[in-house]
Amino acid sequence: MTASGLGAFAASRAFTLGVELELQIVNRHDYDLAPGAADLLRLTGRRKLAADVKPEITSSMIELSTGICERHRDVIEQLLEVRDALVEDGGKLNLRLCGGGTHAFQDWSRRRIFDTPRFRQVSQLYGYLSKQFTVFGQHVHIGCPGPDQALWLLHAMSRFVPHAIALSASSPFVQGTDTGFQSARLNSVYAFPLSGRAPFHLSWEAFGVYFAKMRRTGVVASMKDFYWDIRPKPEFGTIEVRVMDTPLTVERAAAIAVYLQCVARWLARERPFEPDEDDGLVYTYNRFQACRFGLDGEVVDPRTAEHRSLRELIRETIDAVEMHAIELHAERGLALLKRSLAEQPGTDADWLRAAQDRERYLPEVVRQQCLRFES
Amino acid sequence: MLESLWPFFTSPWSLAPDALLGVALLGVLAALAGEAVWRLLHWPRLVGYAIVGTALALAGRGAVGHEPALRLAIDGALALLLFEAGARLKLRWLVRNPWLLATSVAEALATGMGVFFVLSSFNLPSSVATPLAIVAVCVSPAVLQRVVGELRAAGQVTERLLTLAALNTLYAVLAMKLLSAGLLLSDPRTWLEALSPVLFSFCGSILLGAALGEGLALIARRFDLREDNAMLLLLAAVLLALVVAKTLQLSALLVPLLAGIWLANRSERPWVWPRHFGSAGSALVLVMFVAVSSAWTVEALAASAGVALTLVAVRALAKGLVVLALARPSGLGVGQAACLAIGLTPMSVTAWVLALDFSARHPEVGAQLMPVLLASLALLELAAPLAVMAGLRAAGEIDALPARAAKAS
Repeated sequence: MTASGLGAFAASRAFTLGVELELQIVNRHDYDLAPGAADLLRLTGRRKLAADVKPEITSSMIELSTGICERHRDVIEQLLEVRDALVEDGGKLNLRLCGGGTHAFQDWSRRRIFDTPRFRQVSQLYGYLSKQFTVFGQHVHIGCPGPDQALWLLHAMSRFVPHAIALSASSPFVQGTDTGFQSARLNSVYAFPLSGRAPFHLSWEAFGVYFAKMRRTGVVASMKDFYWDIRPKPEFGTIEVRVMDTPLTVERAAAIAVYLQCVARWLARERPFEPDEDDGLVYTYNRFQACRFGLDGEVVDPRTAEHRSLRELIRETIDAVEMHAIELHAERGLALLKRSLAEQPGTDADWLRAAQDRERYLPEVVRQQCLRFES
Repeated sequence: MLESLWPFFTSPWSLAPDALLGVALLGVLAALAGEAVWRLLHWPRLVGYAIVGTALALAGRGAVGHEPALRLAIDGALALLLFEAGARLKLRWLVRNPWLLATSVAEALATGMGVFFVLSSFNLPSSVATPLAIVAVCVSPAVLQRVVGELRAAGQVTERLLTLAALNTLYAVLAMKLLSAGLLLSDPRTWLEALSPVLFSFCGSILLGAALGEGLALIARRFDLREDNAMLLLLAAVLLALVVAKTLQLSALLVPLLAGIWLANRSERPWVWPRHFGSAGSALVLVMFVAVSSAWTVEALAASAGVALTLVAVRALAKGLVVLALARPSGLGVGQAACLAIGLTPMSVTAWVLALDFSARHPEVGAQLMPVLLASLALLELAAPLAVMAGLRAAGEIDALPARAAKAS
């Protein structure tokens, strides 16, 4: 641990991947969230899995994380293995699992906080926010060889935050109503004081000074207290992209992870632009467009002031990173995303809305969401 | 004046117009008692109803079970609760987790055999011990539904409690039918005449149950269940099925239970039923719980306390041991299994109705059976709902502050 309390940045192989998914645990009679994390963990604990399964803040949520992966195939194999294990164990407990950034109709006042000291402390500090935080996200870790490279990549990647939001958006419903958003989950995240964009520091030293100042104020004790869209994770030697909703399928989750991996490699190797403090001018506007309208959102280029639809931009980016996709064996993942850009319903949020239009019954929508996750 | 009011208090259950006051007063008392235990102790309101019933029994004014109006209310309320119990029973779960099915079958067999053996050692003839053993198998889904609903319990112990109770009630009702049929058929003079009603009763109950389930599904799809009007329709449909069942001599227990099971398993589509089908159903349920907990006398309890206590103890032991033994393969922690075992205590309403119906058909056996059963029910009346609550609380499946949660909603 250094003087700033930040700790040393562990080097990791560039562009390695780690994927974390927060999943919903629901019951099988009315498909509301069910407090089954401890039971599921007890059963999956008896298995040997490449991926790791952990409790999260509420007892109706479970987080799975892959080990360090090199490429798409590793990610998808690990995710499929752990998914099948969880689905089988859930079946024994009369529970079901599904993706999606929010539960469509849960009542947050009824959620129970998982009983560990850290979760207790968080729930005492944030009160109802911590229960409203019953939202489900995908986090992608990207390996960086050193801390300065990590910070450079973090800020260069911030332009692609709207892409990740639009591609993963799967939270149109909150507490039983259609929010109009494609990703309403992020609205809950932004209620937290230390959320949003990380401060613009491109050297680890400068970042350490910022962190020490924040620590002195007593507002933060560790990196865990920051809820930034992308944050450095010194222990792993990674940057962690945290804006994604958990997609409805592990295939899409893996595809989004390798999209970010390819973009990271393209940015670091080809340096198509340098990150700039002024990128922040349109950051929250662009992010809002992605949350509200998904692929149809119109984002602004901070340099040229040009307005473009995210659908177009993502298509262009996939073409731009093609060489890197071949190097990283990511073509299958990107092909899945490219197909979904042309399809109707394109995003998982569109799929959920279509299901609700058909059924007019949210518990049935959640059931179909479970089926989609399982198959 | 006072003279003329006296019968209102003395025989509140024979619902003649002049006894309406008695019933109304009971309703007021029970509702207030329920609210008092809820606010002061965070206990389920059900305990308050049971306290009023117990007071009636102590005063020697308990229900007998044959009062026509009362019996109708009890059958109606029980039908609603059994429907709810059936609707929570997912048969596919038993396929995915065969150890759970094994637990269910084993606990029912162990309870039945254990109770039969112990009662025989008390020199009860097997004609009496057998129906008592069967009745002891069932765990009251009515009490469980009510406690789970009031405390908004959710989790693995809750799920298994409801599933095991629905299953062993099904076993007990079927076994009782078989026993009753066996007694009729065993007489060579009447067996031919008895055969067709027995078959008719079985098949008819299943068909009527399925028909009721379909009817309720149709209502739930076409109507908005948040409207009182749809509630009324659901309630009326259940009562109608009940009347048909009674008229055709079908099982008033089996029909609603099967309707629930049918609905929960015919398709995967989830159903959300408002508790007891709204406030009219809740009123019936209140009356039922007060009546059942008043259905014993101090003299009967004193006379049969020893046998009853043994029955209750053996029943708890049999269920507890099986649940604990099969905990690990069925995917339950040992602590949870202990909580589940404690939760399997209640036997109130279903057991009473089963025994009453059996006694009505076989009065000579009933005369020996009822005192033991009523004494057992008296022992469990207040203790059982509290045991369920304690079990669920120990399992961590109840929200920490039920009172606040209830006010917020």
